[in-house]
Amino acid sequence: MANALDGIRVVDLTVWFQGPVAAQHLADFGAEVIHVERPKSGDQGRGVRSIKALPVGDWNQYFLVINRNKKSMALDLKTQAGRDIMYRLVERSDVFLSNLTADNLEGWQLTYEKLAAVNPRLVYATTTGYGHYGTTQKPSFDMTVQALTGLMSRLGEPDEPPIYLGMGSGDAYGGLMAAFAILLALHHREATGKGQMIDASLYGAQLFLAAPTLQAYLATGSTRYSRQQSRTAPLNPLWNTYPTRDRWVFLCVPNTDEGWRRLCRSLGAAAPATDPRFESAQKRRENATALVALLDEILRDQDAAEWMRRWRELGIVASPIANLAELAADEQVWANDYLMKTHCEEVQREVTIRGLPVRLSRTPGSVRSLGPELGQDTELILAETLGYSWDEIAELKAKGAIP
Amino acid sequence: MTKSLDGLLVVDLTVEFWGSIAAALLGDFGANVVRIDALGAPAAEPDDEPAPAWNARAELAQRNKASLAVDVMSEPGRAIVRALAAKADVVLTDRPFAQLQTLGFDYDSLAGLKPDLIYAQGSGFGPEGPDRALPALDELAAARTGMMPILPQPGRPPVYPGHGQMYTAVMLAFGVLAALRHRRRTGEGQQVDTSLLAGNMYGASLDLQAFLAIGGERFLHPISRLDAGNPMSGTMYMSEDGLWVTLTMPDTDRWWPAFAPLVDLAVDDPRFDSHEKRCGESRLEMMRVLEAAFRRRPAAHWRTVFLEKQLSADVIEDYAFPAADPQVYRNRYIVDLEHPSLGGVRSLGFPIFMSESPARLFRLAPCRGQHSFEVLHDILGYGEDEITALRDAGAIG
Repeated sequence: MANALDGIRVVDLTVWFQGPVAAQHLADFGAEVIHVERPKSGDQGRGVRSIKALPVGDWNQYFLVINRNKKSMALDLKTQAGRDIMYRLVERSDVFLSNLTADNLEGWQLTYEKLAAVNPRLVYATTTGYGHYGTTQKPSFDMTVQALTGLMSRLGEPDEPPIYLGMGSGDAYGGLMAAFAILLALHHREATGKGQMIDASLYGAQLFLAAPTLQAYLATGSTRYSRQQSRTAPLNPLWNTYPTRDRWVFLCVPNTDEGWRRLCRSLGAAAPATDPRFESAQKRRENATALVALLDEILRDQDAAEWMRRWRELGIVASPIANLAELAADEQVWANDYLMKTHCEEVQREVTIRGLPVRLSRTPGSVRSLGPELGQDTELILAETLGYSWDEIAELKAKGAIP
Repeated sequence: MTKSLDGLLVVDLTVEFWGSIAAALLGDFGANVVRIDALGAPAAEPDDEPAPAWNARAELAQRNKASLAVDVMSEPGRAIVRALAAKADVVLTDRPFAQLQTLGFDYDSLAGLKPDLIYAQGSGFGPEGPDRALPALDELAAARTGMMPILPQPGRPPVYPGHGQMYTAVMLAFGVLAALRHRRRTGEGQQVDTSLLAGNMYGASLDLQAFLAIGGERFLHPISRLDAGNPMSGTMYMSEDGLWVTLTMPDTDRWWPAFAPLVDLAVDDPRFDSHEKRCGESRLEMMRVLEAAFRRRPAAHWRTVFLEKQLSADVIEDYAFPAADPQVYRNRYIVDLEHPSLGGVRSLGFPIFMSESPARLFRLAPCRGQHSFEVLHDILGYGEDEITALRDAGAIG
């Protein structure tokens, strides 16, 4: 079957998460992605040994999933011979993607100016920490940049510690933005014949990630959007998280009189249907804290399954709040390929991986292989893609450009 | 300066914030996006917030679009949408599957008029499976994703983060561009789909993938902040003035010589003198030591020394910080706008830099129906009399 990005070659000089995951989106849709790595230890992501103080186990899912569908080429860019190989590769590629520091790229003579001279049609993509312009100069990792955006400070109950959105949450967004930007630049190239330089930074992406509340904050300056808000004082007490006898649920009822009547019907005899404190939308908003306390008490009386049964009957929208184990067993995610099973060479068995979040009907993405072994495709790429003879390849080895 | 998506006609049939953002992203890069504003439809804003003077969210979600106001419940109104789709490169929607069928705006109906159409649809839970018809609410998708219970500290209520929908928005726009590439080469259109569930799951990337591979209770319940796997990575500590600092130095050996003296530790302190000790036998003790050390000085001190030593660590700020950060304005992540009726306002800008065909603000979010005449006349070739008649009949606004 045809792939949407057949014939696009991507040089993926990235490490850790944000850069590799950007190229993963392209690889899933059929781009030929060559992950270029240091000869000795490769991408630092290969070195991840534990997550949350737990050993990663016999397969390094951190590296193998975001580098799926890729080739690996080991290249020592500290040598001139290694850089010459890179130039020839860039000459024959459509995209160069890197999340190394600007100093690094400059030291190895891999700047935009240099590579655009080699290939004027090249899309040169970076995923910096803080943006293409400006003076901010410091290391950037997902969480330290998330800390600056303000995303973390607004979550959780008042006086609790800030909340991180999850491991790699910001990197994942920066990577997705970069993949989108690369396709924009390729589209532009079709019309104009010209390549260009693009950047999707961790800071820029995570500020956009904050849009649902940051945009309102920018308009109002109100701390309602920037500081922690208690679930006991919501704007709409009918649209809130609640504990039941066995677990939490998310109740999503608009604060209308009809919504209130329906909810009361589901609550049975305990319903405060005639309580004057809650008789209008405005009063329910004004007395939100009292209403949350009351609903906390009433809903604790039954299991979530019982509430969900009653709510479904009445057309009330709600969901139990699942954990990751329930997600992994959720029929819905399997029906849509959001999780998939694939063979893992490293351990010679089937493993479960994050699947395809975007699907195209005629040219669906696919997972053809998990991440490559370090340098597994080096010689083949040199010989077949770049046209080096076997004698030349031996010479490159002698010079230390390749292992 | 050129436009990345020059000449692309996009019909925006979205109603949700995130869906509209997907269409706006195409408009930001120069696509001609015509938004179908349904006449008589209820306001899209939630009813639980007092209406603000200026709808900032709409300003972001509807920028760089033309607005065509149509009564989609009337046959003449629907005929206009169909005529526009027949000329479009892309139709983008987040409406429920059943509603699209009823209106005749589903893929099969529109692709019948324009075989190479790219039809991009965002839903709540994907086009397959038993819950495909559930409402497209980010809250429901977040509740399903499994992260809400483990975001807070132990014993605290689950946390709804609210950002999952933003992954979905970009994924939808990304899918459109991938499909355009295929169309350029083969002439074939197709359907693109993603969902809020897919977006929330993608946002949970590493936690989810680690759970799938490793499993166990540690991924199902909150972990105390002082029980992190690595005291120097993914951790946060309170400073003297109550602000928090956070550290991400996963390969601790690299950072230790510069870091240890800042927190009043000797580099060769036998408790912490190797990565294995710091992340192993001395892990919990080290977090207690760091907890005390960070409390001895204010956040401003920590920022200064982190910067001086170029450590991967920072202060946890709130939105006031980026709103005042020159770096943010230099990169147009936030922009100052001149609004015709409100004067100076601030809005999120553009997360992507492009040297040749950058994002631009071509126009502010339109009023409903602001471009009805222009769209009908210039794109569909309707005469002035026809347009007046449609307006009189209430089919357009």
